[in-house]
Amino acid sequence: MTATTNGPLSGIRVIDHGHVWAGPLLGMSFKDMGAEVIKIQSPTGGSGVSMAGKGMAGTATRDAVDISDPMAYHAFDRGKKSLSLDLQSEDGKEIYKKLIAVSDVVVENFSARVMPSLGLGFDVLTRINPKIILASLSATGATDGPWRDLVTYGPSLAALYGIKSVLGYHDSDHPQEDQADLDPTAAGHAFFAILAALESRDTTGRGQHIDIAQGEACIQRIAEPLMDYFLNGRVAGPQGNRYPATAPHGYYKTSGLDEWISISVRNQEEWETFKDLAAQKSEDITNPKFKTLQGRLDNQDELDETIESWTKDYTAMQLTKTLQKSKIPAYPVMGTLDLVNDENLNSLHRTSLTVTDNNFSLDSLYRGVIWKLEKGQGEITGPTPSTGADNDEILIDLLGYDERKVIAFRSNGII
Amino acid sequence: MDIHGPLKNLRVLEIGDFISVAYAGKLLADLGAEVIKIEKPIIGDSLRSHGPFPKDIPHIEKSGLHLFLNTNKKSVTLDLATQVGQDLLISAAADVDLVISNLSLEELTNERLSYESLSENNDMLVMSSITIFGYDTPYRDWAGTALTATAASGASKKIGSPDKVPLWLPYCAADFQGGIHGAIAALLALRKKRQLNQGLHAWISVVEVMASYLGGSGVPGFVFQGVLGSRDGTHRSGFYPWQVTPASDGFVEVITMVDEQWKRFINLMDNPDWADDPRLSDRWLSFEWHKELDAFWHPWMKGKTRSELFKLFSENRIPFQPVNKVNEIIESEHLAVRGFWHEIEHPVVGSYKIPGAPYLFSETPWAVYRPAPQLGEHNEEFFKTRLGLTTSERSNLTKLGIT
Repeated sequence: MTATTNGPLSGIRVIDHGHVWAGPLLGMSFKDMGAEVIKIQSPTGGSGVSMAGKGMAGTATRDAVDISDPMAYHAFDRGKKSLSLDLQSEDGKEIYKKLIAVSDVVVENFSARVMPSLGLGFDVLTRINPKIILASLSATGATDGPWRDLVTYGPSLAALYGIKSVLGYHDSDHPQEDQADLDPTAAGHAFFAILAALESRDTTGRGQHIDIAQGEACIQRIAEPLMDYFLNGRVAGPQGNRYPATAPHGYYKTSGLDEWISISVRNQEEWETFKDLAAQKSEDITNPKFKTLQGRLDNQDELDETIESWTKDYTAMQLTKTLQKSKIPAYPVMGTLDLVNDENLNSLHRTSLTVTDNNFSLDSLYRGVIWKLEKGQGEITGPTPSTGADNDEILIDLLGYDERKVIAFRSNGII
Repeated sequence: MDIHGPLKNLRVLEIGDFISVAYAGKLLADLGAEVIKIEKPIIGDSLRSHGPFPKDIPHIEKSGLHLFLNTNKKSVTLDLATQVGQDLLISAAADVDLVISNLSLEELTNERLSYESLSENNDMLVMSSITIFGYDTPYRDWAGTALTATAASGASKKIGSPDKVPLWLPYCAADFQGGIHGAIAALLALRKKRQLNQGLHAWISVVEVMASYLGGSGVPGFVFQGVLGSRDGTHRSGFYPWQVTPASDGFVEVITMVDEQWKRFINLMDNPDWADDPRLSDRWLSFEWHKELDAFWHPWMKGKTRSELFKLFSENRIPFQPVNKVNEIIESEHLAVRGFWHEIEHPVVGSYKIPGAPYLFSETPWAVYRPAPQLGEHNEEFFKTRLGLTTSERSNLTKLGIT
């Protein structure tokens, strides 16, 4: 029932063991760009914990999927096929190995020991199919080390790897909770790494194992304070909304309730423009102590207060338009309710093709395909599958089992 | 050193400025691609003037952000605001597979720097553009930075104290996300090019990356489940506990969605009576009383150091971990055993370390083949060997300030 696509990854078959968030999102990335993605799930429904309620964020559901429900096209398993398979059983392992022989990529985010302990480590997979690429996403990596078997969630991993230590108000050392984005950051790095491994495989004919420690992928983004420690021995604390060598840089109160505007001024030329705009209402901005970048950095509290005495009388969107007319980076600090009606974001989401399956089309799309190719756009090709929905197609058509055998697998709880 | 990375056959031009495009270029270069970074004459990329600098003394070769983001690249100076500079870029684009950019839309649609111009002599050229608001969207012309994109994505309204200003994701985290997804768009477009036997332009919007892929907007959860995120300071609502909790010498992240983990934590504190408090019977509702509930167990945490707590939690398979400071993660045994930090020897800066591989490849590993280049270090190779300019043509370019 899945429509064939002409996406850039058409012809690539991916085995998806993803659960919770990073893994399913990675599988979705492949699917949206044209790959065939087969989700492996436990026949008893044990595996594949959904992250945010039934069928929403995570995984294929055991319940029948209502294909006219738009939610089924927003979940991370949209468009995937589902094979239910007991990987503990000998028959299950045999089916799995046949599948590996005809696949290109395996993605899994189990803890590091799970696949090897099932007898399905990379050494086994590569003997079956030397072209196979296995991507293992774990919190702290697949090799030895004191944190290898740590039980962790994204927010605790952000704490452990130092990422959380710089998130908070600059006048307090108590870090604030983050938006828990380690999983998608790791998924992005993993997607890139697998695409690179596919490039290499095209010339060498050989796949490989990619070990992705979520902490190591995510810590890249705090390279700046890490480098400051390496070069100067300085230990950064919570940064508030400030950024080194940049002022003004922050969120400023505007007229509405809990309404703020983001303003960042990148260079002296932009400062002159900004200052002239603000000076029409607030003379204080022309204070000579704000004249140079160093002066603004040295007097940043006062600078921020002065700016806020101007911004507080306008709505965030009014002021955004004024500043943007002069090419100053600005935008309202958006909340979820604002974004439902955000013209620009809605337009971005719509650039991915909508579903044409079963004459169903999405009127509204809230999770589009983010990579825009002028030819070969990403597509959303179908809803979340129900568990085991594609067992027959995969076992009979793809792997060549006869129907009686499949009936036996089913009655023995293998699928 | 022999280049062995999985992208070793890829030839790339990097144009634009600051973090996002430089991170995309670094991801490609560290996997073996040849990445030529085009920089402004004399001052170079603004990464070079940003810092952090050793002893805080500005120096065009010594900015820490530049040393990290430009590993393995070649540096060529060329003023793309001049027509001669644009013509030379078009000539250079005839001989590469990929151009990555984070030019502003004004620059991108400049007829000399557009995909159409750059592919003039190379119809197999792929270009990947990192934009803030998009390429064919209502606010495509608007200016933006990592701060703007974080604000516009919805992510900030979920971070910080409810009675204070919302917080951005510090150190331009959004630009790093733009870099990774710009690099992904590039590799996807290269595959598409081979299918079509024709080049193409691809782009991403950092706002959409943050709103949609990183989950910042919260819109799907709101529309389909009625869940509206809020910012709850050092806590997060939803289930309890999810918070940054004080220990005697710092803070610990406390989070558990699984009842067994919560029970092991209670057990660790010798099963106090308050554990039966009815307000804890459904931990999806407990957040409402978090102040009273916190008071039960915060003193126990506050009486121990982070490392004492970390040891106890790890032994009992409880997913609470210390908030490490930057120096503490750098000195951690785990990352030392993983060989994560990478020692670099640079002709001007001397030796220093940088964060290492975001992924380990079994066959074609990530590597640092050369440190970040000096400004214009590869000018001669580029203008003479690649573009075939004569000595006098080259010195003319320098005289005119174009290189």
